[in-house]
Amino acid sequence: MAAAARPLVSVKALEGDMATDSAGAPLPDVLRAPIRPDIVRFVHKLLSCNSRQPYAVSRRAGHQTSAESWGTGRAVSRIPRVPGGGTHRAGQGAFGNMCRGGRMFAPTKIWRRWHRRVNIHLRRVAVASALAATAVPSLVLARGHRVETVPELPLVVSDSAESIEKTAQAIKVLKQLGAYADAEKAKDSVGIRPGKGKMRNRRYINRKGPLIVYGTEGSKIVKAFRNLPGVDVANVERLNLLDLAPGGHLGRFVIWTECAFKKLDEVYGTFETPSAKKKGFVLPRPKMANADLSRLINSDEVQSVVKPINKEVKRREPRKNPLKNMAAVLKLNPYLGTARKMAALAEAARVKARTEKLDSKRTKLSPEEASKVKAAGKAWYKTMVSDSDYTEFENFSKWLGVTQ
Amino acid sequence: MATVPDSLIWDIVRKNNSFLIKQFGNGNAKVQFSKEPNNLYNVHSYKHSGLANKKTVTVQPASGKETAVALSTTKTKKQNKPASLYHKSVMRKDFCKMAKAVKNQVGDNHYRPDLTKPALARLSAVYRSLQVAKSGVKKKNRQAS
Repeated sequence: MAAAARPLVSVKALEGDMATDSAGAPLPDVLRAPIRPDIVRFVHKLLSCNSRQPYAVSRRAGHQTSAESWGTGRAVSRIPRVPGGGTHRAGQGAFGNMCRGGRMFAPTKIWRRWHRRVNIHLRRVAVASALAATAVPSLVLARGHRVETVPELPLVVSDSAESIEKTAQAIKVLKQLGAYADAEKAKDSVGIRPGKGKMRNRRYINRKGPLIVYGTEGSKIVKAFRNLPGVDVANVERLNLLDLAPGGHLGRFVIWTECAFKKLDEVYGTFETPSAKKKGFVLPRPKMANADLSRLINSDEVQSVVKPINKEVKRREPRKNPLKNMAAVLKLNPYLGTARKMAALAEAARVKARTEKLDSKRTKLSPEEASKVKAAGKAWYKTMVSDSDYTEFENFSKWLGVTQ
Repeated sequence: MATVPDSLIWDIVRKNNSFLIKQFGNGNAKVQFSKEPNNLYNVHSYKHSGLANKKTVTVQPASGKETAVALSTTKTKKQNKPASLYHKSVMRKDFCKMAKAVKNQVGDNHYRPDLTKPALARLSAVYRSLQVAKSGVKKKNRQAS
């Protein structure tokens, strides 16, 4: 593993800082840990169980009556019934979960397993993973933070921010960093919770804004920022998954102070050295040095081995109907061609033979006789025309539309 | 910084993110949209996603200016600097010239040749909407950042 020069993260100076621009802080290795949404979601689910408070129905609910079953023979079900008379309650079913006024099914007990133990290594891996996600602008945007105006992610501020005492100043700082849009969004989002939670001391809800992480214990920054709605403040040594990945969603917008940022390597260790604060914890390494899938696929190493693209398009031949298509029939029945040809020849021979036979039976007229017959026919037609006089029939001429 | 590959980001962001609109259709007939400003088709997919791509193109009506269109592309070397992430330009030319500018900026230098057509389609849609906007009802831009 070549210990490549770690990229520098610039430290944003605040107004009124001494002009000693630090060259920037090297990127801590935690922020390059593998991002594991599955682990973060799992651990978050378990950890969020730990702030639950036990609840249960009253131990005696539904059992505060001396009801007894009437037994069989009374044509009513054998459920225990409230004794006595004179009130409506008498004779009603009791105890059962199906009865009005009965106890619930499997009454809830306060000794349910409310809290969950999470393996400490798993917890640490989840926190490291959530931290790594805070350095990826896409993921921070995808969580819904307004970071379009932020100069850089991870966002590191000079240490003078830790001496801020007033919330007004804190807002000013956020504005300088371009991070106020996110705080503003959280502030504007305060609303009343939908549903029953309203009456269970969870009346107001709001979005999460930036998380401020400071380094020096007991710094004033906590009080300066804590009244801003949605803004959380945390110490680097006590980073909490519930703050880093609210709802189990990666990519909280985190603002670091410089000393907090520099402490990250000490608190979480690097890829080479185990953590100084967390005993026996070494950062999980990325499984692949380069997980960029498209880069891998398009690399020379892969491309030189893969088969060339098959560009030939094989089309399925359309099926032809042999009842309609000659070529298709011939494929099925190669003899058909000769059969048709032979049939055609036989037909021609037959027609020829028939005409010859007919001709031989007919008496042939000589040309003089033929002309005589024709002349006789013409003569007969003429006499017929002259004999008949159509003009006498008025109707007939009307039909023809003759107007004379 | 620690450059996270696009495909990983897409996997994280695919099922749920703050820009995703899942309300249309069910099962097979589902259509998922996206509110990202740098998503040309407003469609939730790897190709068009503005979160999971190092290079993206934005075509939006420029705020305030009449019939001006804002075109911006992502800078690949400023991935960790959200404030200076975009090359922004506001176009006030006639349509043919705008189309040419978009085509060149998206297609040249192998920037995102696959997005040329969507970019042009969006440009004409945005341009047309601006023509109408003079008289008709103003539509709400759900993507305005």
